[in-house]
Amino acid sequence: MTSVTLNVNGHSHVLDVEDRTLLVDLLREQLGLTGTHVGCDTSQCGCCTIHVDGVAAKSCTMLALQADGTDIVTIEGLAPTDRLHPVQTAFSSCHGLQCGYCTPGMIMAVTDLLARHPDPTDEQIRDGLAGNLCRCTGYVNIEAAVRAAASAMRR
Amino acid sequence: MADRLLRHEDLRLITGRGRFTADVDLPGQLHAAMVRSDRAHARILALDVEAAGKADGVVAILTAKDVQAAGFRPLPSGAPIKGVGGEPHRTAPMPVLAENVVRFVGQPIAMVIAQTALQARDAAELVAVDYDELPVAATVAAALAEGAVQLHDAAPGNLALTYEDGDAEAVARAFAGAAMTSTLRIRSQRLVGSPLELRACVAAHDAARNVTVVHTPTQGMLGMRSSLHAVTGWPTDSIEVVAQDVGGSFGIRGGTFSEQVLAMLASRRLGRPVKWVASRSELFVGEWHGRALTLQGSVALDAQGNILALRFEHETDLGAYSCYWGSLIGTRNLSVTMGGVYRVPALHMRSRLVYTNTVPVSAYRGAGRPDIAFIIERLIDHAAVEHGLDPVDLRSRNFVPVDAFPYRTANGTVYDCGDFDGVMQHALELANYRHFPERRREAAARGQLRGIGFACYLEASGGGAAPSDQVAGRFDADGRLTLYAMTGPSGQGHETSFARIVSDGLGLSLDRIGYRASDPASGLVGNGTGGSRSLLGAGSAFKKLVDSIVDKARPHAAAALGVEPATVGFAKGRFYRLSGGTPAGGISDIPDDDAAIALSELVRQLAPLDASGHPLDCTADSVSGVTFPNGCHVAEIEVDPATGATRIESYVAVDDLGNIVSPELVRGQVHGGVVQGAGQAFGEAALYDADSGQLLSGTFTDYTMPRAGLIRRIVTDSHPVPTALNALGAKGVGESGCSGSLPALGNAMADALRGSGLPAAATLDMPYTPPRVWQALNS
Repeated sequence: MTSVTLNVNGHSHVLDVEDRTLLVDLLREQLGLTGTHVGCDTSQCGCCTIHVDGVAAKSCTMLALQADGTDIVTIEGLAPTDRLHPVQTAFSSCHGLQCGYCTPGMIMAVTDLLARHPDPTDEQIRDGLAGNLCRCTGYVNIEAAVRAAASAMRR
Repeated sequence: MADRLLRHEDLRLITGRGRFTADVDLPGQLHAAMVRSDRAHARILALDVEAAGKADGVVAILTAKDVQAAGFRPLPSGAPIKGVGGEPHRTAPMPVLAENVVRFVGQPIAMVIAQTALQARDAAELVAVDYDELPVAATVAAALAEGAVQLHDAAPGNLALTYEDGDAEAVARAFAGAAMTSTLRIRSQRLVGSPLELRACVAAHDAARNVTVVHTPTQGMLGMRSSLHAVTGWPTDSIEVVAQDVGGSFGIRGGTFSEQVLAMLASRRLGRPVKWVASRSELFVGEWHGRALTLQGSVALDAQGNILALRFEHETDLGAYSCYWGSLIGTRNLSVTMGGVYRVPALHMRSRLVYTNTVPVSAYRGAGRPDIAFIIERLIDHAAVEHGLDPVDLRSRNFVPVDAFPYRTANGTVYDCGDFDGVMQHALELANYRHFPERRREAAARGQLRGIGFACYLEASGGGAAPSDQVAGRFDADGRLTLYAMTGPSGQGHETSFARIVSDGLGLSLDRIGYRASDPASGLVGNGTGGSRSLLGAGSAFKKLVDSIVDKARPHAAAALGVEPATVGFAKGRFYRLSGGTPAGGISDIPDDDAAIALSELVRQLAPLDASGHPLDCTADSVSGVTFPNGCHVAEIEVDPATGATRIESYVAVDDLGNIVSPELVRGQVHGGVVQGAGQAFGEAALYDADSGQLLSGTFTDYTMPRAGLIRRIVTDSHPVPTALNALGAKGVGESGCSGSLPALGNAMADALRGSGLPAAATLDMPYTPPRVWQALNS
């Protein structure tokens, strides 16, 4: 067991982990942050997407040890409890979610995309979503949510 | 904050506060991992669990012996469909854990239970299986071949059933006298449905109550509980099924697999909750596959192009065992609507259902209905091309006309209503079909093969097994209304749609209405979610609930208004005094405290002070018939002959879904179905190595799931012909997208490839991946 220190959603944690513990498992099981989901085991689906030091990362593809000393934001920490992030609102208002399983990862990927491209082209949107699978929506409404969020955030 | 949100479900889901089964942790829980066969066909000579039993943290290991000792039965094997001459379906039920033989890679052999999930997984790898490998029949052709290894004694030649429907003689006569005939044989390839939630369960046996609570994704509590009871034999009222948020299902997760019943057994034996969560690669071999049919259709036409007959000859791959929906997919789900949207005097279908050493096949979005739509519409286009007929005219002259409803097909299905020609014209107009030739020329100038394809699909939806759909409404002391029904949502938005029906009907604010799906304590009977029927079924019952609540409230309103109940009307949420007719000024002009009283006010006034039920609590039920959603989808694509890559340039979906309650949610269902069809058309395929029976496409790395940008825009429109078969006038939408997109995209691809001048290219099978398309263009 090795000790890791990470700041998650603004709170500092010191935790003991096995060398093989995945970051996503640490978040879900040791910190109870079950909003981040696991959907595959080959880094394809993006359900586990979080922000590590301000950049989107797939938490299933990082060992907890690799996150030592980092700042992590999960879906639960995206917005204060009494407010929603424009990306969250846009996903709902554009019906960019149905079952909701891919949604936290999508939202974290999209907030990162919009930080890099505040006025994204269609190609940048599709490229930015390439690491996230959705089985329910067919993606068209998710793209609409990205555009709506971008527009709201530029205002 | 919440009022900008589209659905009631959304707030928790967009903030990561959904509760999917893997999110459930119970105190003291143990963790399970499965041992699965890595051979496609083998006898198990020995199963050595000794090393695994001694591994760190291991508490128990369940094998077939434990399953037998517990008296568990195999997994449900589906409807006993009869075949030719009344022969019975030669079923081969799947045992919960393999006994002496394994018949597919992935078949469960043992469950290891340990203190942590990692310990269970580590220990599972220490279980040693001594296999004596048997020959493998991994394809239908191999399984049916002379001298093929027999998977089941009960099914000689690996043939579970030869199913037949329709009139073979009438069809033969029609073909004999036909001026033109065409035949097409195509494949609807095996798919891995892949709902994104990893399947999981947490079983907790409560010895004091003698109840086992099972948290697991479902498509409705009653169906899941019934399957758990069927396998375990434990009394139904001793099993409680809990599913809060479900991450997609698409027909796959309505009934139990091995893991749930094993977790129940383990929990009971060990006195602690037992939790199991699948991995994705485990699900590729550990969860039912979909489709896997070879379809052949033939059409007989007279000299004018009128359809004289349709004949079908199909092969259905059941996989290694009969389970759940496999028997229905290759039989009735294909034959019920085998005439499609056409007036066909003679119909006949034969389908062979075959066992192979592969993952068993069950329902996946449409469960045979997209497949029959696929062959019908590809065949019609193929006939048009072969005989120089216009594909629009060929369909138009053969549609069931508007004045022919209710229309009884040649094989006894009754379509209640429809406007097939109107739908097609509407779609072709929206797709600017008329000017396609110019777009094709322009694309050709750029070196691209542009193709357009459309499909007029029809499917049967809503056939539920329950005698009716019962629903209930209960008011609490604050006047909030909770609705109950037995559906099993996995993203369809039931909490929103049902609340909307009741909100619209009663004039109660949406945020004062909640919906609890499949609450075990509700005591209601009703259909789970499947076959695209929850809105039209439970939704219709909720519409009736509105009337029931109004009727119950009327005497109270009358008392409050000081009049007789017979002189009280109800509109827009308010009871008002009828004085020889409706008030002159219109309902909104009546001041509340004078001649009208709001239902919400009555609810508040009537709230009991004690814990007894609210006087306006009530139930309702509805019997809804099978409906026939239908539509016309038009796809336009461009194929780059240099690479074989395809771009979907345009997609139009015009659907007759009857009356629509939530247009945005319906659009979402159409999008989802269309893109699942596109996934099958352009990338998805569960590929097996024919010799070893190993699944080659075992993860998302090799199984090409649709991603953003596959279809960049979907134009949808509604062309409703409301049905009288349920109180809402609605037709099912959940699966219809696939039934439209498979043939529309298939026809578009055939059209594009015909531009190459290579006739063989135009009958290329899905998936239309770049290498396959390129090869077709360059062979």
